[in-house]
Amino acid sequence: MRQAPPFSLERYTLLQILIAGLIALPVFTAIWYGLTTGGNLAWDHILTHRLGPYTLTTLMVLFLTGTLACILAIPLAWLVSLYDFPFRRVMEWGLILPLAIPGYVLAYAWADLAGVAGPIQAGLREVTGLSARDYWFPNVFSIPGLSGILALTLFPYVYITARAAFTTQSLATLEAGRCLGASGWHLFWRVGLPAARPAVLAGLSLVLMEAAADYGAADYLGVQTLGVGIVRAWTSFGEPATAARLALVLISLAFAFLIVSKLATGAAGSQQTSYRWTTPARTQLTTGTGFAVLAYFLLILSFSFGLPVTRLIWLSLATSATASSLMSALTSSLSLAAMGATLAFMCSLVMVLASHYSRRGAWPIRLAAASGYAAPGVVLGLGGLFLLKASGQALTGGLAIGLLVWIYASRFTSAGTEPLFAALSRAPASLDQATRSLGVTGALRFWRVDLPLLAPGALAGGLILFVEILKELPATLMLRPFGWDTLAVRAHAYASDERLASATLPALLITLSGLVPVILLSRQMTQMGDRIR
Amino acid sequence: MIKHPTLTAALASLFLSACSGEAPVPNSPTEPAAEILTIYSARHYDSDQTLYDAYEAQTGVTIEVREAKADQLLETLKAEGANSPADLVIVSDAGALWRFKQAGLTRGVQDNRLEALIPEPYRDADGHWFGLSRRIRLLAYDPTEHSPSDIAHWGQLASPARAGEICVRSSSNIYNLSLMAEMIERIGPEAAESWARGVAANMARNPQGGDTDQLRAVAAGQCSVAIVNHYYWVRLAQSADTQDQEVARRTTLLVPEFGDGEGAHVNITGAAITASTDQVARAADFLTFLLSSEGQRLLTVETKELPLTDQTDLAEGVETLPPFTPSQVPLRVLGENQADAQRLFDLAGWN
Repeated sequence: MRQAPPFSLERYTLLQILIAGLIALPVFTAIWYGLTTGGNLAWDHILTHRLGPYTLTTLMVLFLTGTLACILAIPLAWLVSLYDFPFRRVMEWGLILPLAIPGYVLAYAWADLAGVAGPIQAGLREVTGLSARDYWFPNVFSIPGLSGILALTLFPYVYITARAAFTTQSLATLEAGRCLGASGWHLFWRVGLPAARPAVLAGLSLVLMEAAADYGAADYLGVQTLGVGIVRAWTSFGEPATAARLALVLISLAFAFLIVSKLATGAAGSQQTSYRWTTPARTQLTTGTGFAVLAYFLLILSFSFGLPVTRLIWLSLATSATASSLMSALTSSLSLAAMGATLAFMCSLVMVLASHYSRRGAWPIRLAAASGYAAPGVVLGLGGLFLLKASGQALTGGLAIGLLVWIYASRFTSAGTEPLFAALSRAPASLDQATRSLGVTGALRFWRVDLPLLAPGALAGGLILFVEILKELPATLMLRPFGWDTLAVRAHAYASDERLASATLPALLITLSGLVPVILLSRQMTQMGDRIR
Repeated sequence: MIKHPTLTAALASLFLSACSGEAPVPNSPTEPAAEILTIYSARHYDSDQTLYDAYEAQTGVTIEVREAKADQLLETLKAEGANSPADLVIVSDAGALWRFKQAGLTRGVQDNRLEALIPEPYRDADGHWFGLSRRIRLLAYDPTEHSPSDIAHWGQLASPARAGEICVRSSSNIYNLSLMAEMIERIGPEAAESWARGVAANMARNPQGGDTDQLRAVAAGQCSVAIVNHYYWVRLAQSADTQDQEVARRTTLLVPEFGDGEGAHVNITGAAITASTDQVARAADFLTFLLSSEGQRLLTVETKELPLTDQTDLAEGVETLPPFTPSQVPLRVLGENQADAQRLFDLAGWN
């Protein structure tokens, strides 16, 4: 159900095209360069021998990561929304904490914890007297290991969207299900899950885009994904053009998924009919079941956050590095994330509003806008360098910052649009009809109807953008001006030199800086749930 | 979206110039009054800051550094072209230095002091790059599992007798690529490929992690031979952590020879003076400082690399390395054969 545009139609389409162009320009510059630069000896080799395995590995990682993220997130969201158990409120926001840990940091931490020389396996050998070759132990350095780690850091995206869907779904739907005799698992499978499908898919698409663009975790764990292959084409073969061509394959995969998920959402066609009695009453669990549920929450929280962070703190205590030497990196991180999040948020907002007001569902525009999120950071960094070359300037001062902030916006705007779209779509169709029958249009409509609807989504979108940019590494490493080393850059410098202990302090600081916005995000989400109730 | 390069250029410069007017520049360099030397470095050591500080104190020159990976610095230099502020590039691989030269980003500099300080094999004949410090790639093995004669040659790692014994990192790592590049030069691409195939077949596990992880795996008993750079072992041996020291105690170093004759696989950290600089003399002077006794000590104290000029003041722990004869294969080969090395690794199944 499209809404009447408060202003003129063309203006909004034009705005959308402008923003989509801003986002897509660095990506397409890199790809255009890749396709037009000749003399790529490596391309033939990669096409014949490596593209198949890279693609297959990537698909397996995406499948496993997506599946695991859903298996982790959806039951947690369901339990937290419909049942009452001890410490439910703490768990409700605690589950978002893993978002603050970058995937590559979680990979370092788990590789250290569960690797053959780590404390878990060393303890096992000590206790049993076995040698490292005598027993089987789950291997972190594998496709399932990488997928598990990516799922542990990314599942909150599905949790956030699924939880929002479960807490705001129409009470009538659930009550109707209950009247028809559905309860427990049955209610979840037959009523709750189908209604939440669009929300789950929205969260899942964020998870898969992030996982597809990952380089740091896959490289460290020795899993040969397309992301790793792209960097290898550049560094081993010295052919950035081949790297950009490979990125096209990755972006095509992401587009294929976006289209499939859009079709699936369209088919579900769930439409909220009421906005009033939204949150269903929570069922009080018995003490035993309640504590069992709590234990399950704690288990997942400790794997995704508690254990790795504790290990990092433990390791950082062993180093002589001091937090004071990282103050300027912290300042750079925070200022760059703030600037990047601001531009990306403005782009998201304009995209969402323009698409909300314009009648046409401009698919090419939406895909162009998503291209940055689907591209690995390295490819965007390359795009940034090619743009720099076109401008004929040096990578210094304000120009470098401007370029980097542009690349951030290009990379992450899509992540900011999801919560905004979700906020708008939560409004029942009747609201639109009421608005129109009351003759509310134009700026008045924006201020009185759309802005209040958008506000919670806007905060969520802004915070997600801030945290994502805070964690960003490859583009920052390539484009930052002199004296703008971020925490991620410092952590990478130490880690790439195999000084994990020294890398832990900047890594912890990233997590710590990310925690503040993540906790804000959590509070805002849970309070909104309570308010609606 | 992009139909024509000039459109891209116009858009890019439009947007970027708009940005440069507004964005804050907290660390903007003070205007020309002070002399500034700009270094693009692929090294990430805290001790490098001490090194820069020492040179600043000595000369009053301000040093500005951009740290990133070698390939990224190369693309940055390319993109900046003649406008690049960089005077010097420092990278930790001879192959990377060769690439900078190939891309036309370096300048041939004839400097008598540098030529006198650096032994001939460790600098470019035309003065496009200069070695600063050295490292060797060697084996760390479990002495309870192997006698040195089992693994005295790189070729022996490919023997079926070593099945399930080897731990090594991924082939795309520059240290493995350089080793393979030298192997190709010495025994030819076909023999090098079958060597890599043999090593891959003997691996105890998929290539993963860094060199230090391979050493820890040997100490933990998952494998019995690791291919590593010497300084990772030295750093563990010198670590304050007793578990790290234990890893070094349980492993023995051996510098393997190539099948066709003597010589250990040596790589360098080196520097190149950029084509875009207008401060050649200043850059060369800084290099002379790096090659002085003080410069060499500061360059290697934290990294545990081997110095290039002054061998009297070795970094602590480095003196325990087994003696070795450096390879005579010219270092530029490491760059020339790098892409082939990755191609053959791919074909051999060394991930």
